[in-house]
Amino acid sequence: MNPAISTDIAAQLIALLAVLMLVVQLLLVVQRMLLTSIRLFAVQSMFLAGIAAVVAFFHGAMHVYIVAGLTFIGKVMFLPWLLDRQVRRMRIGQEIEPLVNFPTSMLTCGGLTLLGYIVARPFTSLERLGNNTLAVAITLVLTGIFLMFNRRKAITQVLALLTVENGVMLAAVALTTYGMPLVVELGIFFDVLVAVMVLAILVYRIRESFDSMDVGKLTQLKG
Amino acid sequence: MDQFSPILLNLGLLGYVLGALAGLVFFRRSRAANLGAFGCAAAAAACTGLACVHALLTGAATDAGSTRLVPTLVPYVQFTVCLDPLSCFFGLILSLVALALSIYSLGYARGYYGRKSVGVLGAFYNVLVLATTLVFLSDNAFFFLIAWEIMALSAYCLVSFEHEQNETRNAGVLFFVMSHIGTGCLILGFLLLFQASGGYGFAGFHALGDKMAASPRNAAFLLFLVGFGVKAGLVPLHIWLPAAHPVAPSNVSALLSGVLIKTGIYGLARVLFDFLGTPPNWWGVTVLGLGTLSAVLGVLYALMQHDLKRLLAYHSIENIGIILMGLGAALMFLHTGHPVLASLALVAGLYHTINHAVFKALLFLGAGAVVHAAHTRDMEEMGGLAKRMPHTALFFLIGAVAISALPPLNGFVSEWLVYQSLLQGFGTTSSLIRLMFPLSGAMLALTGALAAACFVKAFGITFLAQPRSTHAAQAREATPTMLLGQGLLAAACVFLGLFPTLFLKVLDPVTRQLAGPALSTQLSLANGLVLSGATPGGGSVSTLGLTAAAAGLLLVPFALWLVYARRTRVRLGPTWDCGLQGLTPRMEYTATGFSKPIRMIFKALFRPRREVQREYDFSPYFAKTLRFESHVEELFLTRLYRPLYGAVWQASRRMRALQAGSLQAYLIYIFVILLVLLLFAL
Repeated sequence: MNPAISTDIAAQLIALLAVLMLVVQLLLVVQRMLLTSIRLFAVQSMFLAGIAAVVAFFHGAMHVYIVAGLTFIGKVMFLPWLLDRQVRRMRIGQEIEPLVNFPTSMLTCGGLTLLGYIVARPFTSLERLGNNTLAVAITLVLTGIFLMFNRRKAITQVLALLTVENGVMLAAVALTTYGMPLVVELGIFFDVLVAVMVLAILVYRIRESFDSMDVGKLTQLKG
Repeated sequence: MDQFSPILLNLGLLGYVLGALAGLVFFRRSRAANLGAFGCAAAAAACTGLACVHALLTGAATDAGSTRLVPTLVPYVQFTVCLDPLSCFFGLILSLVALALSIYSLGYARGYYGRKSVGVLGAFYNVLVLATTLVFLSDNAFFFLIAWEIMALSAYCLVSFEHEQNETRNAGVLFFVMSHIGTGCLILGFLLLFQASGGYGFAGFHALGDKMAASPRNAAFLLFLVGFGVKAGLVPLHIWLPAAHPVAPSNVSALLSGVLIKTGIYGLARVLFDFLGTPPNWWGVTVLGLGTLSAVLGVLYALMQHDLKRLLAYHSIENIGIILMGLGAALMFLHTGHPVLASLALVAGLYHTINHAVFKALLFLGAGAVVHAAHTRDMEEMGGLAKRMPHTALFFLIGAVAISALPPLNGFVSEWLVYQSLLQGFGTTSSLIRLMFPLSGAMLALTGALAAACFVKAFGITFLAQPRSTHAAQAREATPTMLLGQGLLAAACVFLGLFPTLFLKVLDPVTRQLAGPALSTQLSLANGLVLSGATPGGGSVSTLGLTAAAAGLLLVPFALWLVYARRTRVRLGPTWDCGLQGLTPRMEYTATGFSKPIRMIFKALFRPRREVQREYDFSPYFAKTLRFESHVEELFLTRLYRPLYGAVWQASRRMRALQAGSLQAYLIYIFVILLVLLLFAL
């Protein structure tokens, strides 16, 4: 295959997948059902794994395959399964109650997306792959944090944290041709894995102690 | 280059490390831990002391280079030591005191057998001495700060050693907080020096001040003054000192008061004379003024104490003041360009440094033996100990005479030198500022007199008359090793007092490094038998001669007895008791009563309060019970630190509103800051 054409195809594929990640993120913002949110996260992670696979395939970087594989196994299969089981086992209500209502959240996230694109503009020359992937990555981080404080239930905050992490991974894959050194990627990956497992246990404990997953109840801990 | 001193020094440092390890290894076996830790410390102190004396006397110190102790991995941080004259002098002080203390501790630590872990005490003691040695010897700012912090932390652990008591814990925390305020200032000061020199080596800092702009130079001076002033116990930064020294085990109190606070003096001498170049006049005036203030206030508050160790702690503030008077005067002389007088004042200050280290350590050891025997630090419950602990009483008396600056002991010699430099300072300048010199001289005279009054009280109430409690009545003499430790220091007091001209040779390389000329030949007349004031206008004095004269005068009453009274009859009878049924301890003069005249004279300062409660049946003249309480206000505590503490507390309470305990709020903080940063980046 002609190298110029293949790079072009890679760039377009990555841009497509990145935009799909952003769309899923916005869907998460307005999603009312908890289990659907978890599935949406799995879908978003799948797109991330896809980007990693594209990078690996078109640039012949074998170790990025490992990243893609780990992302798939960890974030598409294992973590969603873990959270899913947690939700079912604790019989939490499915309804998500946001602090800010959905239209306002949507508008805010639109603003954050705009901000992400403006902030990323000076750095577009650094992007080796795809267009605007950095902008999407920043937007994912910002909306992820917004999601975190816009939710009451501890488990939805874990989910939001995971989308922030997806944004960081996207930036890492997009900005460096062959991804970060494998050791760093593995480090981040296991970091997140362990963090989520710990959080899952903590959420369970919070539920046990307060009979609720509303983090607002944590103010009772303050002396 | 001569390798004798560095090798001995390394041996000594190794000895402290071994001592600390021995303390930890024999954690559960008191006797072995005691022998291992304090034995190693004594040997190590002897080694480092020899190394310092050798370097000073052979002149090896003058051109000493750096020696690397441990290889380093980080740029700028060099673990190097340098045996230059100033370091050696302070190393000598430390080693001398540590040697006596370690021997004393062999006996003193027995009091903790079965009660507390002697191993922990020994380990921290070794770490403290090791860190203090490294503070004196390091020639890299990073290494200095690391050693400084280890010193502060191990000192904190030792102060809190008897942590079961509330008072001890509070004192430990106060020490910790004050110490860290000081360290913060030091770090900022060293950063200013780093900015000017581009390195952290002390060699690069030499005379750096002349190349610095005025404002960073003055800022550095103030930062170092506060930073080292906290450690030295300079008024008004002294409040930790009378809290922390009494509650520590007595061997540690002696180390704190004798040596640890001298690290502040060392730092000031190093920074002011070595690093910051020719001083502006106000530096000297500030140091001299603060020194005078510390001296007078220290002794005044000391007079009001009836806790023996607290009294000694306040005297440390007084003596630090006297040392700083010497250093301040030296700075002023350097400013006006009188190097000989500057040398004289510096010699006076440094001589008083070693003297104070020796006699204060001696007094704390004596107090330790007394407290150990009488089971209390309150002087009002002691008394009559001279009969029960004759050797301790003798050594304490030697220390008391020395600290009261009475001839012929060492305190007199160094205070005389301070007077000499102050009195000769009047002619060095024509500006009005010269009035500082006679005024501080007068304040020094007042200090000396009050100190003498204070030690009449301390010795009299503690050792003389009848015991006021059963513990005091059953007191027993201290163990031989405890007496040996005190004896060493008492001998040092006598030596430094009688043969000052011999010792002044040791100070020659130090003055040559810091101020200018060496003075030992100018200061000694008549083959070193007489100490002179260095300049034609100065006085001269001979402690040896005074002693000889006193001994000669002692013959006079003996001769009179021989001539007139040999055949008269000797009659023994009880002391006149005003016709009562014998004398009881309740009739004795109390410590509070003794200091009452002075409390009344300085009423404006002390603001004394007293409460008297009487219970009587039919007439107020026949009271059944009487309760008397008297308080003296500590001005700095009530007027400066309490309001400051209150303000900080209030501000913290308001800040707590930020910490709402709500997860969402915290996330919003992060989010907002992230947004603000991003918008700034645009």
